[in-house]
Amino acid sequence: MTKNASRTGNAMDRRDFLRLTGAGVAGAALLPACGGFSGESEGSGSGKLIISHGPDEVLAGLMPKMLGEFNKQHKGEIEAIFRPMGEDYFDQLRTQFQAGGGDIDVISGDVIWPAQFGANGWIDDLSDKFTEEMQAGFLEGPLGANSYQGAVYGVPWFTDAGMLYYRADLLEKSGFSQPPKTYDELFSMAKKIQADEGLRNGHVYQGSNYEGGVVNGLEYIWAHGGEVLDLSDPTKVIIDSPEAAAGLATQRATVEEGISPEAIVTFTEAESDAAFTNGDTVFMRNWPYVFGIVLAGDVKIKMNQMGVAPLPAGEGGSQGFSALGGWNLFINSASDKKDEAWELISFLSSPEMVKFRAIEGSYLSPLKETYEDKEVTSKVPVYPVAAQITDQIRPRPVSEFYGDMTLEMAEEFNNSLKGETSPEDAVATLQEAMQSIIDKGTA
Amino acid sequence: MAERATGPGTGARPSGGLVLGPLRTLTNEFTDKERRLAYILVTPALAIILAIALFPLLYAIWLSFQEIIINQSSSFVGLQNYVEMFQDPDFHSALRNTTVFTVLSVSLELVAGMAIALALSRAFKGRGIARATALAPWAFPPAIAAVMWRLMFQDQVGGGIVAYLIKSSGIYTHPILGNDAALIGAAVLVDAWKTTPFMALLLLAGLQVIPQDVYEATKVDGATSWQQFWRVTLPLVRPAMLVALLFRTLDAWRVYDLLWVMGNRQLNSLSVYVYNGVKISQLDFSLGNAAAVFVFLSSIAIAFVFIKVLGTRAVE
Repeated sequence: MTKNASRTGNAMDRRDFLRLTGAGVAGAALLPACGGFSGESEGSGSGKLIISHGPDEVLAGLMPKMLGEFNKQHKGEIEAIFRPMGEDYFDQLRTQFQAGGGDIDVISGDVIWPAQFGANGWIDDLSDKFTEEMQAGFLEGPLGANSYQGAVYGVPWFTDAGMLYYRADLLEKSGFSQPPKTYDELFSMAKKIQADEGLRNGHVYQGSNYEGGVVNGLEYIWAHGGEVLDLSDPTKVIIDSPEAAAGLATQRATVEEGISPEAIVTFTEAESDAAFTNGDTVFMRNWPYVFGIVLAGDVKIKMNQMGVAPLPAGEGGSQGFSALGGWNLFINSASDKKDEAWELISFLSSPEMVKFRAIEGSYLSPLKETYEDKEVTSKVPVYPVAAQITDQIRPRPVSEFYGDMTLEMAEEFNNSLKGETSPEDAVATLQEAMQSIIDKGTA
Repeated sequence: MAERATGPGTGARPSGGLVLGPLRTLTNEFTDKERRLAYILVTPALAIILAIALFPLLYAIWLSFQEIIINQSSSFVGLQNYVEMFQDPDFHSALRNTTVFTVLSVSLELVAGMAIALALSRAFKGRGIARATALAPWAFPPAIAAVMWRLMFQDQVGGGIVAYLIKSSGIYTHPILGNDAALIGAAVLVDAWKTTPFMALLLLAGLQVIPQDVYEATKVDGATSWQQFWRVTLPLVRPAMLVALLFRTLDAWRVYDLLWVMGNRQLNSLSVYVYNGVKISQLDFSLGNAAAVFVFLSSIAIAFVFIKVLGTRAVE
């Protein structure tokens, strides 16, 4: 009896199961079909040119105007569409490349990507199209970041640089007529103003364990005369030097001497600009975007309270250096519309478009001429300052293994800033770890 | 085809008289017409299970014996990936963090969950509402819970309430988010906040099936409530506890989202190590993959130990 009953039960289950599986299989069969269909409608087969860019709301707002103009000029021939990407842009691109290239034609990519993408053959060498004559109009920093082993892989379309923001009103009140030129000056000025005003922070920057922390660590190292890779041989790591250790020691001293909060080891751009625009802080190292925030006016401090200067020099260093950020345009090697792609790149990096982005979004130009353009310098407050620092902007180490090396740097710089590792040990650990990455990759 | 591929157990090894018994039953299995039909019908299902469960697993294990660098040819290197992995300081910190996190969070959840389950198993007014509210934290997606608590643990923007309380009580005066050990402690608390209700729910189900008359009998014998708990409740709830502990331990062992978000991508765990290797790095794919196999094997080992230790005692 029971046996029979259970059998019937099973039979029912089986029937249900088969029905469900059938539905599942049919659904699974439909899915790729859908994917293929939608892919085709905006993909390579249909003649539309796809350009992608990382998360950037301001630029996403300007894109329709720029592409609208481009599409009008090429009506009937090329139609470009914009594909905004999320925080995992880099991972997604890499996955697509490994799977055969994907459908994006023009890739807007970070300054730290060209070497890795180029060395793997994922993006085209643009030497034929992007002639030396054309290159002459660009700033050296952004251009250098796109060049790797004699080839040039991308055209810079806007750039970014670290700057020292300061409270002009407080400096004046405490009797300082100029922003600091060295870290020694910065330390003593910060301490005095902190004491005079009872401020919470003397100096804030990005100290967290992430790419921004690497940028900041590098700036301290460069300011003290240290280097990461041998400039004439990028397969040689030379970070284990007294200069580099001195750089990290100065960075650690900001915490030890109480001018930076202990929590600086968790700070990214957002925490830094909040601390500064709240009026809690004397100095801040950050990117040009903070101008936009202060100009928008929803924060405690106003434009006339704020000043911007080049980053200070360290002891033993000749001058301060500012790490280069910014974005560049690449052509996907798998694209079947390379001429059209180049057409779009030339358009987006033209002086008119660069100027448009400068005025509408405060984006820094990669072209030298924009810094002398009266209209831009008068309308965009960051430009006169940026013009002073264009010669101190440096790309981060250019290597096809930067992606792996930066993870090590982020961790060790952060450990040193926390005081868990001495600066000397940090650079020694990095020397070994980064060299073994290069050796492993080139073996 | 079905005869060879789907023989039950390990019976098909004809070596000596001992196996003759199983062998005979095996032959019976296939001469019986109805049974044969059953096997034929079950074969597609088994094949699907093998294809979707076993194949990827074996493939991952096979990959872990290869040296793979993206865009370069791969080569067989035997156990070298595992040797390299066990020497990697990042792997040490991942293993240490995961172990500490698992032991602390699961112990805390077991004790707290048991207390809540005992309280909720009594009949009182509004028990239904109490049970529902107790479950609320469990409904939060882990990443959301982590972001929410991270805001309360930070001491910068606006000043997190938890950070303030901890700092002003003098327990820990440094920024909690800036120190790995403190961060793990915070993550343990958040995990306990989030999954104690789940533990309590499973234990409550176990408590509900203990017959009331057992308690009455012990009461007649003059047992104190303390004795009742240790001698009656605990042994009888053990099967439910085994399930709850097993679920929670394996969950904690492969923790990813909570530490990833709480630590703002900085806190290492075994799963984070795997992710960093296979997805972020372009050189450490092999190490990440080996670690994935390690997580799988160690999970099986943990499950085995639990069932062995707690399971047999429950049978006694």
